[in-house]
Amino acid sequence: MDNLKEDLKKQLIEQLNLEDLQVSDIADDALLFKDEGLGLDSIDALELIVLLEKYHGIQVINPDEGKEAFLSVNTMADYIRKRKS
Amino acid sequence: MIYIGAEEIISPLGETAEENFSAMIENRSGITLVPNAGFNKGAVNLSKILNLPGENQFEGLIASILASLSHKIDEKVITSDRTIILLSSTKGELKNNMADPFGPPIASLMVRFNFANQPIIISNACISGVLAINAANNFITAGLYDHVIVIGCDLISDFIVYGFQSLFAMSDKACLPFDAARNGISLGEGCGAVVVSNTSAIFKNPPLKLMSGTSANDANHISGPSRTGEGLYRSVKKTMEINHISSDDIDFISAHGTGTIYNDEMESIAFDRLSLTHVPLNSLKGYFGHTLGAAGVVETAASMMMIREEILIKSLGFEETGTSKELNIILENKKSSLRTILKTASGFGGGNASLIIQKL
Amino acid sequence: MSFITSYCHLTHESCSVNGNVIVERDPESDDNWFKQLYKNQEFVYPKFYKMDTLSQAGFILSEMIKRAQPSIMNSYQDDEIALLFANQFSSADSDLRFKKSYEEHGTPSPALFVYTLPNIVLGEIAILNKWYGENMFAVLPKFAPDFFVNYSQVFLSTGSEAVLCGWLGIAGDQINVFVFLIEKQGSAGMEFNAENLKKLAGIELV
Repeated sequence: MDNLKEDLKKQLIEQLNLEDLQVSDIADDALLFKDEGLGLDSIDALELIVLLEKYHGIQVINPDEGKEAFLSVNTMADYIRKRKS
Repeated sequence: MIYIGAEEIISPLGETAEENFSAMIENRSGITLVPNAGFNKGAVNLSKILNLPGENQFEGLIASILASLSHKIDEKVITSDRTIILLSSTKGELKNNMADPFGPPIASLMVRFNFANQPIIISNACISGVLAINAANNFITAGLYDHVIVIGCDLISDFIVYGFQSLFAMSDKACLPFDAARNGISLGEGCGAVVVSNTSAIFKNPPLKLMSGTSANDANHISGPSRTGEGLYRSVKKTMEINHISSDDIDFISAHGTGTIYNDEMESIAFDRLSLTHVPLNSLKGYFGHTLGAAGVVETAASMMMIREEILIKSLGFEETGTSKELNIILENKKSSLRTILKTASGFGGGNASLIIQKL
Repeated sequence: MSFITSYCHLTHESCSVNGNVIVERDPESDDNWFKQLYKNQEFVYPKFYKMDTLSQAGFILSEMIKRAQPSIMNSYQDDEIALLFANQFSSADSDLRFKKSYEEHGTPSPALFVYTLPNIVLGEIAILNKWYGENMFAVLPKFAPDFFVNYSQVFLSTGSEAVLCGWLGIAGDQINVFVFLIEKQGSAGMEFNAENLKKLAGIELV
């Protein structure tokens, strides 16, 4: 598995207090904000912004940017790679 | 009958209710751009009181307002055993002592003012002020007390500024309640007071009539309002029903109007469900900023002065409708005989509260 | 007349319902006491893990009250159960955690900030149960039976039919939490007055 995606999953679990989940429970394409996926809410979306800064040094100025970027672990990884290059 | 009067406000706009009201008539805002106030040292729009002492700001403001009140009511009321003090606040003296934000200042105030009964702090996020006024009404109606002094007080701190910044809830300009260009709140600090009593004779200026109010939870989200305005709808509906007030009886609404996209939209939906979209409405947060635990008391006090002076005050910061249901937002000050007004508040934790005041 | 129909105590050592110990803390466990209770009682509500200590305590004890008094879930309209809670230190524990997030961990945490208000526990209980009724959170210097008796009576005479009350005495490791249910009908319950409330609350509180 791609290291960035695995790390992201660990960071998600840590940052969002998803204590009942393991890395293996989170599919790369699981829709983070849908109930069928991780069922995250608006506060979690803001914590993802903190996660990006804390673990990846990326600053998100406008929370609306997150709407596209945070759909799944896949889109988050793409966003991180794009911002870093 | 339950009376409400002796309203007082200490804010950046003035140290007395009269000074504050003069500023409101002139449509002046207490919000200014404060440099270095943000987490990344950026400038932030805040309604800050100048020249507050370095320490014990919470206690100091409450002591000042009590001194003012002693000139507005029979001063024996303050120490009477038939009186209780209700304080509405979210953070108390946070900057002094985060581990115990209310204990020390209340203990000190008890010694200074010799209250007969232990004050009760109502700490219910942004609805605390309206909730406290409703509680005052309820305590007197139940025969537990004859007089209740309701004081709302909250201060700006780095803690609060950084917190709302982390929620991306702060406006990048002075807040624009209900406006199409709104994008967040402007925090404010202030202290407001009203006295609620079953005895009109205690008031030096004639009081108004306080009608029973209610609260209701959205049961939806701890920090975001219900998209259908469920809690606000239920609270206002109940407040109107128990007082036999119809939507045609209400002359003015002092809404919560924080200036966030979601709050103001939610309120417009609730008011539409209640058939109240035609009622002249403002948010006072363009003048005072969002004073959190103090808001319900400061804004009720300001609205009471609107009744007394027979004037609808412009909703500062509003130019163009920005909510899906159009409200009758007050565009300019307008002389108007106001008999019955509705005050609403909504807050974190899903709380919503409302009350009605009438001219006697 | 109204009745105390069910009550729970939580201390640092044990959790009891209606006077009977249900769970004792395992000092050897890696999990903190609240997590132990959550797992021991087999609750399934992942939001629990995001909550602060006030909300975790309120959640656990209100769920235990519901189990002890299941009739509460179908005897009332969705706005007839009021929530009346109080404590001494407001949201101090959560406030200190939030402050740490920006002073020591680099960025203010929104997930911690939303719990820096003591009434959030009422929101959590309302959301879980879809209860749209009256709420109040008060800060008092100590557990005050008169306050709970007086204000519950206010709620019961202004449209509420039941009141879930709670004293959330939590400060660091000190835990003295007492949650109780007041109902207008309560054949098996104790009459609700300050004397009886003091008796049930126990020596540590009063």
